[in-house]
Amino acid sequence: MAMIENKTDSGLILDRRQLILGASAVGLSAAFSSMPAMAAGAPKKGGVLRMGVEGGSPSDSLDPRTYADSIPINISLMLWNCLVEVADNGDATGELFESWEVKPGATEWLFNIRKGVTFTSGKTLDADDVIYSLNMHRGETKSPAKALLNDITDIKKVNANQVQITMSNGNLDLPFNLSDYHLIVVPNGFTDWSKPDGTGAFTMEEFQPGVRFVAKRKPGNYWKPNRGNFDRVELRYIGDAAARSQALMTGQVDVINRVDPKTAALLAKNPKLRISRTPGMGNRFAFVAHTDKDPYSNKDLMMALKYGIDRKKIVDNVFSGYASIGNDHTVGTKMKYYDTKQKQTPYDPDKAKFYYKKSGVTAPIELQVSEGAFSGATDAGQVYQESLAKAGINLDLKRVSGDGYWDNVWLKVPFCAVYWGNRPTIDNQLTSTFFGGLKNPWNDTHFQNEEFSKTLVAARVEMDQKKRGAMYARCQELIAQNSGMVCFAVQDYLDACSTKLQGLTISGRYDLADDRIAEKGWFA
Amino acid sequence: MAKLILNRLLLGVLTLFAVSILIFVCTQILPGDVASAVLGQGATPEALVIFRKELGLDVPAYLRYIHWLTGALHGDLGVALTNKRVIVDEVLPRLGNTLFLAGYAALIAIPVAVGLGIFSAINEGKLSDKLANIVTLTAISLPEFFIAYLLIIFMAVDVDWFPSLSTVYKGMPFSERVYQTTLPAITLTLLVAAHMLRMTRSSVLSVMSTPYIEMAFLKGAKRGRVIVRHALPNAAAPIITVVALNLAYLVVGVVVIEAVFVYPGLGQLMVDAVSKRDVPVIQACGLVFAMVFVTLNTLADILVILVNPRLRHKR
Repeated sequence: MAMIENKTDSGLILDRRQLILGASAVGLSAAFSSMPAMAAGAPKKGGVLRMGVEGGSPSDSLDPRTYADSIPINISLMLWNCLVEVADNGDATGELFESWEVKPGATEWLFNIRKGVTFTSGKTLDADDVIYSLNMHRGETKSPAKALLNDITDIKKVNANQVQITMSNGNLDLPFNLSDYHLIVVPNGFTDWSKPDGTGAFTMEEFQPGVRFVAKRKPGNYWKPNRGNFDRVELRYIGDAAARSQALMTGQVDVINRVDPKTAALLAKNPKLRISRTPGMGNRFAFVAHTDKDPYSNKDLMMALKYGIDRKKIVDNVFSGYASIGNDHTVGTKMKYYDTKQKQTPYDPDKAKFYYKKSGVTAPIELQVSEGAFSGATDAGQVYQESLAKAGINLDLKRVSGDGYWDNVWLKVPFCAVYWGNRPTIDNQLTSTFFGGLKNPWNDTHFQNEEFSKTLVAARVEMDQKKRGAMYARCQELIAQNSGMVCFAVQDYLDACSTKLQGLTISGRYDLADDRIAEKGWFA
Repeated sequence: MAKLILNRLLLGVLTLFAVSILIFVCTQILPGDVASAVLGQGATPEALVIFRKELGLDVPAYLRYIHWLTGALHGDLGVALTNKRVIVDEVLPRLGNTLFLAGYAALIAIPVAVGLGIFSAINEGKLSDKLANIVTLTAISLPEFFIAYLLIIFMAVDVDWFPSLSTVYKGMPFSERVYQTTLPAITLTLLVAAHMLRMTRSSVLSVMSTPYIEMAFLKGAKRGRVIVRHALPNAAAPIITVVALNLAYLVVGVVVIEAVFVYPGLGQLMVDAVSKRDVPVIQACGLVFAMVFVTLNTLADILVILVNPRLRHKR
């Protein structure tokens, strides 16, 4: 049985910048360490990074099973490490797992644990820590990462620096799933989250959930070369977008996230500031219809609803242009295996009118929207209403309370607004929303399609990249044509920082340099 | 008189008790539950069931109320549902911050407003009276966040005198804390000054038309002396009431200011707790706010009884 070496792409493919720098690109760590260096000169040590960030609350805790927003993730990645990191180009590269091998069928995996990494307490990282950390998210747990690990049947220690993972269903995306931010590595038996003990670059000084977090650099060299450069990191919770911008403008913080698209152009005019835009990776904004209920079970009506939305107008007016146009599925435009050849459904009032007539539907179409679904949902709904009116379709727009929206409206009302977040892989993105028919509790369009399910499962173990890409393209096509999802926009991530902060690169996944700006950045 | 004061105190305690029931009932009828609010849109039904059980949401409401009330009476407000932190530890520093800001604002606002009110009364109808009125009325007519942003633009962005973020934390030097909270304190002052100024002015003026004031004038006293010496003590009752009301507002009504200046006060904590459906935290904040309000009002009532002998006797 031939073992296939799954060296990660960033270790094998030389991109232009790596060639220029003459990076050896042999070992993973070499590739990794050269990355920040490419941005602007070599990283320097020192300084205090002050972050003003949204995405947390006084209810935050450091237990990874409760992470749901940016701030706890950013904090966590200062203190701990994950098993796998996603590089800026979107590939899975080793973090605490140095490398891995997979057998054909993708059910048996062998992961090599990085040697010589120690926790703050001085303990050396070994296989038991990894197994304990992964098992926190398996079995009876409320961990959101549980679903990512559902197919894992066994995690076995081979030796102190090697674990074997066996899966019931093969999935080549396992390393991506293991890069999930919930899956940090803690020492075996660790339970006291108020006293973090991690392998990260920093140690905690102060944590007041909802107010601020302070960390200082660990003495000695961090195990990742060129990272962990700041002496201290101070993170402030700033929920108000205007307050965040002001704090950056007045120099009280060095970096902010979630810049208000409406004021981004103003910020960009300031010569001391820089806007970092990560396109096609943010939330997917959509209206979803239950296609097993009338009138949405009528395919022609759904076509009319898809042709009748002016996506560009929504992107330009509601999101001030800081979004990509959606194409009726949740795959982001910059996601690996996004099908660029699939035709974009245009705004075509005539076609919408044609399909609406053909459908013969006379029943009222009611769309429920709320700012509780996502900011801009109401405005988007209004543009939708206008653009449908031009096609002679009357949309009854109903604004509902943001309070309890996810309990009372989403999944219950036949046509409503929703957002879907960015997932680590295309498989995960499609599986969570569309796979498994009515048994999937998150299938908010009640989508059922046998070909889709079969293709998706087959793609999980397809080692030929080209074939795999074609399979995912078919999946995107099937959803766009058959599901009740009208996905009209994919949000850009918008960060802003002072020009002296380096390393805030466009990431392959989340904002703030994949939530690792504290670890990756430095001051020029 | 002692009986009168005791009555007021008892009434205060009763009000608090009634409020505690109200708070508990109201938090029970908030739409949505904490489990789904915490776990977000990404929660699986399975995770929700496990989390709800963990939170003890399966116990009947009246039992939870009794448990909560007895805890609160012993100074134990329970632990937050969401992150298991002890609520008292969370609330006390926040309350400290809010009281600090309110106290700072009151230190500026009360002397300024009451002083200006008396000054306006002395100079009734003159330009200075009109000017004081116009300025304070303008300030109270603008939305609070607007005043806050104006101050930030002029005093933080343009001239860089004060920070736009009011960063405070434990162990911060007192002078630094004062510096950091100056802008929100000025904003609050502008918000409450008009109310106190006008009440002071009008209650002084209303006393001015009484016969004994006329008598004082006839005896040849100057206008300023008549107001301060004869009118003010008798106009004190409404002024004390309006000052107490505004003090209470400074503590419980500053949520917007806290958000604009990112000030870690109690209002902000409560808003965040509401969005996460963290019921024990909401209840704790509600109770603390009610206590502040009831205490200040009771204090004002007692003070009024003390300064106004007529109230001590039944008519």
